[in-house]
Amino acid sequence: MLLEAENVSRSFLGFVALDDANLTVAPGEIVGLIGPNGAGKSTFFNCIAGDLRPSGGRIRFDAVDVTGLPAEAHAELGIGRTFQVPAAFEDMTLLENVMVGSFLRHRQRARARDKALQMLRLTGLEAQAGQRARGLGTPGRKRLEIARVLATEPRLLLLDEALAGLTPVEIQQAIRLVREIHATGVTIVIVEHIMEVILTLAQRVMVFNHGRTIAHGAPEEVMKDPQVVEAYLGHHRRRRGAVA
Amino acid sequence: MTAPAGAASAAAAQGAGVRGTAWAAGVLWVALLLYPLAVGTTSSAAFLQDVGATVLLAAITACAWNIVGGYAGQVSVGHAIFFGIGAYASLAVYSWWELPPVTGIPAGVVVAALTALVIGAPTFRLQGHYFSMATIAVAELIRLLVSNWDWLGAAIGIQGPATPRGWWDLIYRSAVPYYYMYLAVLALVIGVTWQLARSRFGFYLRAIRSDERAARSLGVPVRRTKLLALMLSAAFTAVAGSLYALKVGFVNPESGLGILVSVQMIITAALGGAGTLYGPLLGAIILVPLQSATNTWFGGSGSGLTYVLYGGIIMLLARFAPGGLAEVWQRWLARRRVARRERKHVINAA
Amino acid sequence: MLLLQATVSGLLLGAVYALFSSGLTLIWGMMNFINFAHGEFVMLGMYAALLATWAGLGPALFAPFAAAVLFVLGALVYFGLIKHVLRGPMLAQILSTFGLALLLRYSSFFVFKSDFRTLPDSELSGTINAFGIFIARSQLVAGVAAAVLALGMHFLLTRTALGSRMLAVAEDRSAAMLMGIRPDRMQALAWGLSAASAGIAGALMAIAYPFSPSVGETFALTAFVVVTLGGFGSVPGAMIAGLVIGLTEALAAFLIGPVYKDVVVYGLFVAVLWLRPHGLLGARAR
Repeated sequence: MLLEAENVSRSFLGFVALDDANLTVAPGEIVGLIGPNGAGKSTFFNCIAGDLRPSGGRIRFDAVDVTGLPAEAHAELGIGRTFQVPAAFEDMTLLENVMVGSFLRHRQRARARDKALQMLRLTGLEAQAGQRARGLGTPGRKRLEIARVLATEPRLLLLDEALAGLTPVEIQQAIRLVREIHATGVTIVIVEHIMEVILTLAQRVMVFNHGRTIAHGAPEEVMKDPQVVEAYLGHHRRRRGAVA
Repeated sequence: MTAPAGAASAAAAQGAGVRGTAWAAGVLWVALLLYPLAVGTTSSAAFLQDVGATVLLAAITACAWNIVGGYAGQVSVGHAIFFGIGAYASLAVYSWWELPPVTGIPAGVVVAALTALVIGAPTFRLQGHYFSMATIAVAELIRLLVSNWDWLGAAIGIQGPATPRGWWDLIYRSAVPYYYMYLAVLALVIGVTWQLARSRFGFYLRAIRSDERAARSLGVPVRRTKLLALMLSAAFTAVAGSLYALKVGFVNPESGLGILVSVQMIITAALGGAGTLYGPLLGAIILVPLQSATNTWFGGSGSGLTYVLYGGIIMLLARFAPGGLAEVWQRWLARRRVARRERKHVINAA
Repeated sequence: MLLLQATVSGLLLGAVYALFSSGLTLIWGMMNFINFAHGEFVMLGMYAALLATWAGLGPALFAPFAAAVLFVLGALVYFGLIKHVLRGPMLAQILSTFGLALLLRYSSFFVFKSDFRTLPDSELSGTINAFGIFIARSQLVAGVAAAVLALGMHFLLTRTALGSRMLAVAEDRSAAMLMGIRPDRMQALAWGLSAASAGIAGALMAIAYPFSPSVGETFALTAFVVVTLGGFGSVPGAMIAGLVIGLTEALAAFLIGPVYKDVVVYGLFVAVLWLRPHGLLGARAR
């Protein structure tokens, strides 16, 4: 097992954001985390990434206990993550941005640079390598996020709604890119709202609602689960009922 | 469509930009080298050479601050601590043990680095404001202590050798030897900063300044990197303080550890461009002569009004151009590029 | 007996510290912004009281006058400066109020000169003898008024609609906007309130203690220590910490010597940063 999260919970000042979440991920899998807003999937995601310290439970990565270790340690061990709102280093060029990532594994400037160029090529950003990140549009920023985290050579990649805000064409490109990354042996956990993406990419899906996992399994089955349907559509149906 | 051509021309422009900058830097260093000789023939040679030395010292101090305040983005508003430590260290070894002041420099560096550790270790795991507040508090704390310790001269301060006992005291009546001493140290500081900026450490610093959370997610050891930057900056600032003590031959709590010393460093680096290589030097070249001038204009209460002016300049920088003149220059260049491109489109369309 | 005397004076001054520090921590909690000119706001409050005496106003009006002047200044500073640097780099944020502090401090030196002065005698002069302890009437009034106002501020923030609107903006700006609250207005209001709290504290102190433009620097540091000890954004924390610091200062002056009182306080600051940075009532950072 590459990742084992056991009984992970997290509260904020008495409010239980995440309650008893369990997940195991084997090397080479693609697992999806879905659920309505505020359901706890981002909280869980951030616990695995090292941004949040769980209030309870344990998280193990490749048999190493990473619970409560800082985010830098998670990255060093091989967990990489992207941010929902891309966090580019605005005043640095695209190349420099990715080099911050590649420096993790390559201390020498020349090697770090080569690795960074490689990642920019992979994500189709090579032509803009010398431009400042500030001028980049949203799709470019998302690709930069991915190039940068890939430069850290992660074994587990956590994608946080990486495909939100993209056009249908861009989404197709992104799915292709994720597949390519997966093909190189990277295990992927993806948080996503867009159903199409989850159904296409994820081999397994975990559904969150109100801080708990309410379903777990293959995407098609999970979609048919009445609890899942209720979680996503119930609110909507109730509102229409009130109007009528 | 235009992407490859655009990328090529952007790269070419960048290359030209880099070559242009290297050229300009070369000219600058030659000018700095020749300055004392050039003004040596004028009637106010001694005064101008002194101003030159002061400019260089201000530049060294600002460059030192720049490492942690500009590149790493950790705004120290009490950097006088380190300056004062350096100044006091060199004059203290003379005052207590009759040693040449220059031998106090290593001690100053060590004490400064340790002080940096004491300030940075707890605060760098907290949000940025704690660090800034801590730097003011520790600066004041040390200033108060020193003002009351007779073994450091209390409020009166410490004096260096009045006349040189030998070449090793490094006391000169002319400002020119100091000028070249400072120029060498400035070259060292700028050289080290340049090398650092290109290295992994430098990239990590800039990443931390930009977005700490993202930096962490890429494995950057944030706290350790900030600490190293602060210790390095403190060391160089202490050297600057010692160099100051060599030339002026005297230090007291106000001139070594006062808040105005910190202010000077910050505004000099910020005006030119915090986080750039030559920004602090540019700031020094502008501000030191300006300060001499305003001190004469404003007369007796001059230094007070000078700081009103400084306060205003700092506010304007913060509000309109935090990156200083370097940023203003970049924006102007960018506007020119856009205008040129638009003209090209018009021509192509016609 | 003298120890008790020192304790009482310390607590009275501490109440004033609590008042102006509450203003600083309000802004810190709401906008994640430390106002490095807050000490100067207190200092200006003192000079506002001076101007009030020149205008012939009685002591009862000093505080309201200073409050009004500083409230306007606070709001102006927000609209003219703070609003624009909030979304910028940290350097710009820190430099903005740092530069403002310099501007205010040295302008005041220029206008008012650097000598310490006191306000003319009034009905608040003289000492009271309470159970063998001698307290300056002015210090008692200043301390009690400050305590009442600090509590009032806490009440305003936690129990009124206005207060909850301000706190809503602090929690989640976009959500607040969706609720129809205007973040800009609330933030300007908070700045006005924060500056006013500093101004009132200054005016109250001017009644009881000598002042000069140099005190701004010292009060800024006092405020930093208090808000750090009190905890990020916690007004009740600042109130308790204010009293603690006032007391510590007075006891240090009494037991060790007046020269070392600031040293003890700043040393305490460093200790808090090392040992318990989230202070007494602050939420943990992570």
